[in-house]
Amino acid sequence: MNPILTELAPLFPEIFVLAMACAILLIDLSLSQERRHVSFGLALLTLAGAAALTLSDHSGAARSVFHGMFLDDLMSDVLKLGIYALTFTVFVYSRAYLAARGMYRGEYFVLGLFGVLGMMVMASAGHLLVLYLGLELLSLSLYAMVAFQRDSYPATEAAMKYFVLGALASGMLLYGMSMLYGVTGSLDIAAVRQAVTGVSAANNVVLIFGLVFVLVGLAFKLGAVPFHMWIPDVYHGAPTSVTLYIATAPKLAAFAMVLRLLVGGLQDLAVAWQDMLIIMAILSMAVGNVIAIAQTNLKRMLAYSAISHMGFFLLGILSAGANGYGSALFYILVYAVMSLGAFGMVLLLSRAGHEAEQLDDFRGLNQRSPWYAFLMLLLMFSMAGVPPTAGFYAKLAVIQSVVQVDLVWLAAVAVLFSVIGAFYYLRVVKLMYFDAPADTNAIQSGLDMRALLTVNALALVAVTPWLGAFLDLCSRAILTLA
Amino acid sequence: MQNVYLAIPLACLAGALVSGLLGKVIGRAGAAAAAILGVAVACALSFVVFHDVMVAGHHFNGPVYTWGVSGGVPMEIGFLIDPLTAIMLVVVTFVSLMVHIYTIGYMHDDSGYQRFFSYIALFTFAMLILVMSNNFLQLFFGWEAVGLVSYLLIGFWYTRDSATFAQLKAFLVNRVGDLGFLLGIAAVFMYFNTLDYRAVFAIAPQFATATMQIVPGVDWQVMTVICLLLFVGAMGKSAQVPLHVWLPDSMEGPTPISALIHAATMVTAGVFMVARMSPLYELSETALSVVLVIGATTAITMALVGVVQNDIKRIVAYSTLSQLGYMMVALGVSAYSVGIFHLMTHAFFKALLFLAAGSVIIAMHHEQDIRKMGGLKKYMPVTFVTAWAGSLALAGIPPFAGFFSKDMIIEAVHYSQLPGSGFAYAAVLAGVFITAFYSFRMLFLVFHGKPRMDDHTKHHLRESPWVVTGPLVLLAIPSFLIGLLTIEPLLFGGYFADALKVLPAHDVVGRISRGYQGLGPFIAHGLQSPPFMLAAAGVLLAWLLYIRYPQLPDRIRARTQPLYDLLLNKYYADEFNDFVFARGARGLGRWFWRIGDVKLIDGMAVNGTARVVGWVAAAVRQVQSGYVYHYAFAMILGVFLLITFFLHR
Amino acid sequence: MDFTQLIFYFFAAVLVFAAAMVITIRNPVKAALFLVLAFFSAACLWMLLQAEFLAIALVLVYVGAVMVLFLFVVMMLDINLLRLREGFGEYLPIGGIVAVLMVLEMAIILGPARFGLEKVPAPADHPAGYSNTRELGRLLYTDYAYPFEIAAVVLLVAIVAAIALTMRKRPETKYQDPAQQVRVQRNERLKIVKMEPSPKPPQGKRR
Repeated sequence: MNPILTELAPLFPEIFVLAMACAILLIDLSLSQERRHVSFGLALLTLAGAAALTLSDHSGAARSVFHGMFLDDLMSDVLKLGIYALTFTVFVYSRAYLAARGMYRGEYFVLGLFGVLGMMVMASAGHLLVLYLGLELLSLSLYAMVAFQRDSYPATEAAMKYFVLGALASGMLLYGMSMLYGVTGSLDIAAVRQAVTGVSAANNVVLIFGLVFVLVGLAFKLGAVPFHMWIPDVYHGAPTSVTLYIATAPKLAAFAMVLRLLVGGLQDLAVAWQDMLIIMAILSMAVGNVIAIAQTNLKRMLAYSAISHMGFFLLGILSAGANGYGSALFYILVYAVMSLGAFGMVLLLSRAGHEAEQLDDFRGLNQRSPWYAFLMLLLMFSMAGVPPTAGFYAKLAVIQSVVQVDLVWLAAVAVLFSVIGAFYYLRVVKLMYFDAPADTNAIQSGLDMRALLTVNALALVAVTPWLGAFLDLCSRAILTLA
Repeated sequence: MQNVYLAIPLACLAGALVSGLLGKVIGRAGAAAAAILGVAVACALSFVVFHDVMVAGHHFNGPVYTWGVSGGVPMEIGFLIDPLTAIMLVVVTFVSLMVHIYTIGYMHDDSGYQRFFSYIALFTFAMLILVMSNNFLQLFFGWEAVGLVSYLLIGFWYTRDSATFAQLKAFLVNRVGDLGFLLGIAAVFMYFNTLDYRAVFAIAPQFATATMQIVPGVDWQVMTVICLLLFVGAMGKSAQVPLHVWLPDSMEGPTPISALIHAATMVTAGVFMVARMSPLYELSETALSVVLVIGATTAITMALVGVVQNDIKRIVAYSTLSQLGYMMVALGVSAYSVGIFHLMTHAFFKALLFLAAGSVIIAMHHEQDIRKMGGLKKYMPVTFVTAWAGSLALAGIPPFAGFFSKDMIIEAVHYSQLPGSGFAYAAVLAGVFITAFYSFRMLFLVFHGKPRMDDHTKHHLRESPWVVTGPLVLLAIPSFLIGLLTIEPLLFGGYFADALKVLPAHDVVGRISRGYQGLGPFIAHGLQSPPFMLAAAGVLLAWLLYIRYPQLPDRIRARTQPLYDLLLNKYYADEFNDFVFARGARGLGRWFWRIGDVKLIDGMAVNGTARVVGWVAAAVRQVQSGYVYHYAFAMILGVFLLITFFLHR
Repeated sequence: MDFTQLIFYFFAAVLVFAAAMVITIRNPVKAALFLVLAFFSAACLWMLLQAEFLAIALVLVYVGAVMVLFLFVVMMLDINLLRLREGFGEYLPIGGIVAVLMVLEMAIILGPARFGLEKVPAPADHPAGYSNTRELGRLLYTDYAYPFEIAAVVLLVAIVAAIALTMRKRPETKYQDPAQQVRVQRNERLKIVKMEPSPKPPQGKRR
């Protein structure tokens, strides 16, 4: 092979996704609405192909391309595979929903794929600039997707809010990065790390100042309190299929960003960011869990639940150790799968002219369909952290990591809030099983979606025998950084 | 041999399961057959084991199955087969078998026939597990299991209010005892870090002088605390004052149960346990003294109550209480072998008396008041003869079984120098007189004199069927002979040498045995000793009062009304418990419910938390105003606070 | 303070002033013009740093193209100034306090103590014939090829998003179809309605 190509080999998945996204953009122009499924199929094919490329290329050793701007390590591979799988499922879940609302257009999938590209760039970023560009690529796609339902007032409003606040957060992130550059003289993450070690006490203040801004950017992306305000409005206002997209794969990208920046670059400032993250984690768990109780809209409730889950996720990060990062990766993966299933249920119950996004829409689901009620029960139990679901082990892992660094009080707080949180998850279960259905329409959705949703929900329990392997994978994945 | 050990309880369990679970399928006869077969197999094998231990001298101590390990401590099913276990096996299975057979006749018309058989077979299983155990955990399992079956059987006729009340009472009183027992086991585990008998007994002497502080500043001997806690359990199970109140009420259960559980076996579990723990009790004179005093108190006070009872079963029940007191007295003076000896003889003659009482009750169509009986001897000759045998044994008339065991107890107390032994000696001596009096009072009123029942009942009076009389006869034989046959090997032949531990300083039996010159001299000496005189006096007095001058008792009662009332009301123990414990506990519970539960936990902790969370949620929700500049401001504020906090701390 | 510094402070002051005016001035056209001023000042600052290409690009692209376009739009739109400024006074105190505190903090941290001229060494002078444009181009197409490509993709996505969100057949937009107009029939345009000669006034209601 051409030596340049050999060197670019780790980039093949990115190049493939980009090329395919452009190709779908062109092909879609010539398709009539009846043949739109070609774009859909090609999008799925792109994701499958990218997964194949990522898997085939995996040589085990960490490599870097473009002078360390692009990193190919186990963590990026794990995250990318997760992103492909989640996006694949998102596309499958969305198809019927989009078709019923006149949004079944090629641009949805193209933007989705560009978003995936952005996430991939973030997952592999070894340079602050690249990280930022990946984030912008992802964000831009997301803004457009949220506004995709052009005639919907709430969606447009949500997109506006997301855009304005996102721009603000991006600005802060950039400002923070510029501070880091000002002190360390480099944008390369590895170089930043080396430079930080030798920074004088006087300049340490500037570093921490920059760190605050960087953290704000991260917290915004994750949706940690007090930078969470966009989450409920965007989750609620966006079309459910887009909410599904936002609530799943981008969380993995955010994880990559957190690890690359905080662990990869600023590990030596751990003492400082640990305390900031403790504050954010507690606030997130508190605000997310408490406000979720007052919600009547399921999408909004899940949005607050997302905020609280990010609080738990931060517990793993703030433990600032290999165990903590591994458990955080596991947590975020499990959370993404749970969130995928939960929003998938909203999509499942929705149909033309009806958004099944109110809690009341789940009333008496058991009488309408015992199987989906059971799947929803699994999802809710997993979110609440009831054994033996994966959600329980994920919570256990992060709490253990917190205990290991002698923050027992924080673990106690986390458990307390997870108890409060259990209330609103269990309320959904109660509505499904003990109330009379308000809506007696049969569930209409394709076989593909039903099958995938079943796999999605059952995976949370079926994974139990291989938990050890997964946790091990997670802890190995972050090893190149920690 | 291990398989035989295992087969003994499992045969009973199988019988219980078959008759209980398949009762509907195999019918009444099938259920009875299954249970009886199971117990008969267990009985036969028990004799095999007994022979093996007696003759071949084989002992066994080891685990059969480890069902769990926690913190390095194995939890096992294990068997300890030694002379003590062997004798208990024989007594339990033999009496149980007799009761099983008797039940065929007694419960003949009852709709709960299969259930009953299932219960008593299950009881036998539990009791066997208890006596065969080689560790505290299994002992506790058996202890609770027999308690459970006892509970179920007292309330066997669950439609009767009195039965369910008695059942509940037995359960609650036993809870008190079990709390002590459990604490005792916990203390054992805390100090010895094992629950295995052998290991515990091996380590125990090291703790002979160890002390502990539960109340700061007060040193308590570890062994005394452990022994007293365990004895609290024994007091509950063996109905010692003041935890005796459940036993008389337990007579609400069917008579076979009274015979098996509440006379012969289960209630003696406490006695067995203390004997089994002799290596521990020997280390604490305080504990022994407490056992002695409690036993003596029970022996005398319960015998007195028996004098004024008119219900045939209750008289026997009070005599049981009194005799359990005797056994405890024996244990208290370290004459463990004598205690077990009395346990054995008592099991036979008391089961006999209960079954005889049951036979009378059948004939009288469930009339239990002895004032309405009389002159039954010509209608029920077999019952009459066997009841006489049982009563003679109970009164301690030589050469019946009770004579030997009771005489040995009195002798042992006489030799003891333990604090409280003087009181105990007086109590057991007085008890002999009273025992003889009330047991012959009952005998005379039931079988002698003029018939006092109505004509209808009188017309239908007849001897019970063979399934009832057969066990009576089979029990009457050991009641007569067992003391005669076994006193030498059991007490003076060193039969219990390994199983029971007695310190030389406490060895009263050894001292007696030095003066023992054979059965003849023993009986001859017995005939001249005060106990026999007192027993004879008691019998004579009963004859005078109830045969010769039947009008006298009423006059005596009129003169001693306060004393009579005190006894008739059982020293007002039930009233006291009702008022202080039952009502007090309910009042306390209601207070906790009103204040603690309703107001504090429900009101503040649960609903209050929920309400506060709700308020907070509603309030914080306001922040989510929907205005993008509010959100942006919140973010900037967040940045500001973070910077301020981290740069200026 | 040498001459360069004087220039720096002058343009920096203008920049800050212009930026402040952009967000405070009432008239949006003036605001846009102040933004132009701000861009100019920034370009001058870059010029001081010998980043000629960036300075000129800023002027050409932002001032010359973007801002002019923006001005057109602002002038064409009928913006309700009062509505825009609603609540300004209400939020000014608290917002102002936070802003002032923020600025103070930043001044403390980023002040001359850490970023003074003596702390940060001036970049080395470039040799004669040094071309800032060439250097930038070389870097962009070699070391920074990857981020450069990603930036291109970002732009592509921006175009796709903009088109996807705006280009559409609006149901409310009115089109003229001459063919249809020609083929119009009388009864499509004219409807004869029979009416009462003098309609009675509605009863029971008075205005």
